[in-house]
Amino acid sequence: MSVRATVISQFEQVAVEQHRKLSRLSDDLKLLDSGLDSLSFALIVVRLEDALGFDPFDVAEDVKFPVTFGEFVKLYENHPH
Amino acid sequence: MSSAPSIRLAAAPTKTLGEAIYFDSGEHQLFGWLYTPPADATAKLGLVICKPFGYEALCSHRGLRAFAEAAAACGIATLRLDYLGTGDSEEIDPQADQLSAWTRDVISAVDELRRRTAVQHVCLLGVRLGALLAALAARDCAAVTSLILIAPIVSGRRYLRELRTNRMFASLLDAQLAGAEPAPAETPAGGMEVSGFRLSAATLGALTHVDLKSYAAPTVTDVLVIDGKDLPGASAWAQQLVALGIRTQYRVLPGLIEMAMTAPQYAAVPLEMIAAMQDWLGQFAQESSATVAPRTPPTVVMTLRGDEPAQHAVLTERPVFFGSETPLFGIVTEPRQGEKRRRGVILLNAGADYHISANGMHVELAREWASRGYVVLRMDLAGLGDSATRAGRPDNEVFPPAALDDIRSAIDFLRSRYGATDMTLYGLCSGAYHALRAAAAGAPVNRILMVNPQNYFWEPGTTLDDLQPADIVYNPKLYRRKFLSGDAWKRLLSGQVDVWRVAKIFFNRPLMAVQSKLRDLARRLRIRLRNDLGRELEEICKRGVRIVFVFTRGEPGIDLLKIEAGSSVKRLGESCRIHIIVGADHIFSQSGPRSMLKTILSNELFART
Repeated sequence: MSVRATVISQFEQVAVEQHRKLSRLSDDLKLLDSGLDSLSFALIVVRLEDALGFDPFDVAEDVKFPVTFGEFVKLYENHPH
Repeated sequence: MSSAPSIRLAAAPTKTLGEAIYFDSGEHQLFGWLYTPPADATAKLGLVICKPFGYEALCSHRGLRAFAEAAAACGIATLRLDYLGTGDSEEIDPQADQLSAWTRDVISAVDELRRRTAVQHVCLLGVRLGALLAALAARDCAAVTSLILIAPIVSGRRYLRELRTNRMFASLLDAQLAGAEPAPAETPAGGMEVSGFRLSAATLGALTHVDLKSYAAPTVTDVLVIDGKDLPGASAWAQQLVALGIRTQYRVLPGLIEMAMTAPQYAAVPLEMIAAMQDWLGQFAQESSATVAPRTPPTVVMTLRGDEPAQHAVLTERPVFFGSETPLFGIVTEPRQGEKRRRGVILLNAGADYHISANGMHVELAREWASRGYVVLRMDLAGLGDSATRAGRPDNEVFPPAALDDIRSAIDFLRSRYGATDMTLYGLCSGAYHALRAAAAGAPVNRILMVNPQNYFWEPGTTLDDLQPADIVYNPKLYRRKFLSGDAWKRLLSGQVDVWRVAKIFFNRPLMAVQSKLRDLARRLRIRLRNDLGRELEEICKRGVRIVFVFTRGEPGIDLLKIEAGSSVKRLGESCRIHIIVGADHIFSQSGPRSMLKTILSNELFART
C-alpha cells in the first residue's frame, strides 16, 4: 500500500472511531476543515508510526506544521526513512 | 482453610456502587473507590486500578468503574485511586515529579487495600500511563504479585511524542481559527499542558528516561498484557518478559480507543477486556481469605489546608450520596468552620464528563469558592460518573429527561444538610442547558451561571448525532466564508461535499430567523408560544434569579440566544449578563482563557444584587 493510501486509511478509520464527520480528503483540504480534532491527529500519527515505521514529527528541530492534507501526506512521502 | 468461594464470572459488570474513601499517601490525602465483596466471597488477592493520564482518564472513568465492579463481582476486593493532583485528590505541587509521586500513590493504595480488607497479595491493573506506574510500583512493593497492563506505555519518550503531537495539532487548529501563530508545546515553566491537563517539567524529564524494555523485569510472578487492537505497542516487551521467565500472557483485544480515547459521551465499556481480566484473575482468586479483616472505619472527609495558619484556613471535602430513588453521587467542599452565611453552589456535568469536569475545573472552582464561604457540591446526574443509573434508562445520557429531578434532589440536599438559603447552579454546555431548564421550571435558585450552552431546548428522542440548532447557526458562517472561495466551489461541483446536509442547514437558517421575529411579536402581544426562550428568561428574571451567560467567541450558542430569545435579552439588561471570552475553545482547554473564565464566574457569583 502506498504511503498516501496508508495515510488516507488511517484518517478514515480514526474518523469512524471518534464519531467525526470526515470531509472528503483532497490535497487542498485544510486540516482545520477535515472534521478531526487534535486527539484524532495524535492517534493518526501514532498509528502511522506503527504502520510505516517512522514519525516525521520526531525531530530535534521544529517541523513546519502541515496546514493541508496534501502537506501532511507530503511530510510522510518525503521523509528519508 | 475454608473451601473455595463461589466466584461468579459475569460477562458484563454488575452495577455495584463502591464506597468512596480517602486515604493517606505520605503527607497527602488521596481519593479512591473501594469495592469490598461479601465476606464469604473474598479472595486473598486484591486489585488496585491505576488510571491513565489526563483526558484519557476522563474518557475512561466509566470503563474503569466497570472493571472495578466486575472484579468485585468475582470476589476480589478492589481499590481505584486518584493520584495526587488528579480527580478528587489533594492538589500536587506544580513543580513535582508526577511520575515519582504517582508511583508512590499506587504503593500507598496497595497498603490501604491490605489494611482495609483481608487481601494478602495485590494485582495492579493499569491503563496506558497507569500501566507504566503499575510496573514501576511493582518493583518497590513486595505485596504486588501480578500485573494486568492494558496498552502499557513502554517508552516514556514515545509517549511524550504522542502528547506533543496532540498538543501541536491542538495549537495548530486553535491558531488557524484565530488567525495567529501556533503556541509552543511547552509552557514557560517548562511543563506541558495537553487537553487542559498539565505535566511538570520534572515529569517530562523523568518520562524521557523511562523505558520498560531496559529495566530489570518486574518482581512479579504473573503478567497479563492486553494491547489495544488498533494500538498494539507492547508485543515486543511482552515477549521480553517471557524470555525473562515471567509467566506472561499477551492478548490483543478491541475496546481501548472506545474506552480511553473517545469523548466521554461516546465512550464505551470494553467488555472483552473485562472478561479477559475476570478469566485471568479467576486462576488466582480461588483461594479465599481465612480471616476477615477488622473493619477499620473509613476516612470519609478530606482536609484541605489553606494558606493561612490554624484551623480557620481548613476546608473539608466529603463524598455524599443523596436522592431518594436513584442514589446520586457528589463531593461537597465545605467552607471553613464558623462560616455563617448559607450559600450553596451546584456544579453540573458538562456532557458526560464526570463531576470533576473537563480539565478538572469543577474541583478548582469548588475549592476556590469554598474558601470564600460557599458550600459547593460537584455532582453526577443519574447515569453519569459515579451516580447510579435510573431504572429503565441507559447509562451515559447527556440530556436525561429526569435531570430536573436530580437537580431538585441536589438543591434539597444542600438546603436540608447545610441550611443553604442562597443557591447557584453552574454548568458548561449541557450543564448550562440543565441549569437553565431547572430555573425555567421554577427550581428555587438565586442565580444560574451558564457557559457555552449549545442548545436551549431538547426534544425527547433527539440524539447527539442529529442535526442540532447549533449546527444550523454555526455552519452558515463557515459556509459563507467558503462561498467566496474558488476551492470550495471546485469541491462542491466534484461531489466532495454533503450537499443534503448543507441544504438542510441553509433551509433551516432563514426559517429560524422568521420564527424569531414571530416569537418577538407574540411576546409583545402576550401570546404564549411553546419553546419561547425570551419569555422564559423574562419569567426567570421576574422571580429575582440572576442570569449569567459566558461564551467563547464564535460559539453557536451566542447567535442561538439572539435568535431564540430575540429582543428579550436586551430588555432584561443587567438581570441577564453576557460575557464573551476570546481565544478559548468550547471546554477551555487552555489555561489562560480558563483562568479568565474562573475570574468572570467568581466575580458574578460574589456580586451582590
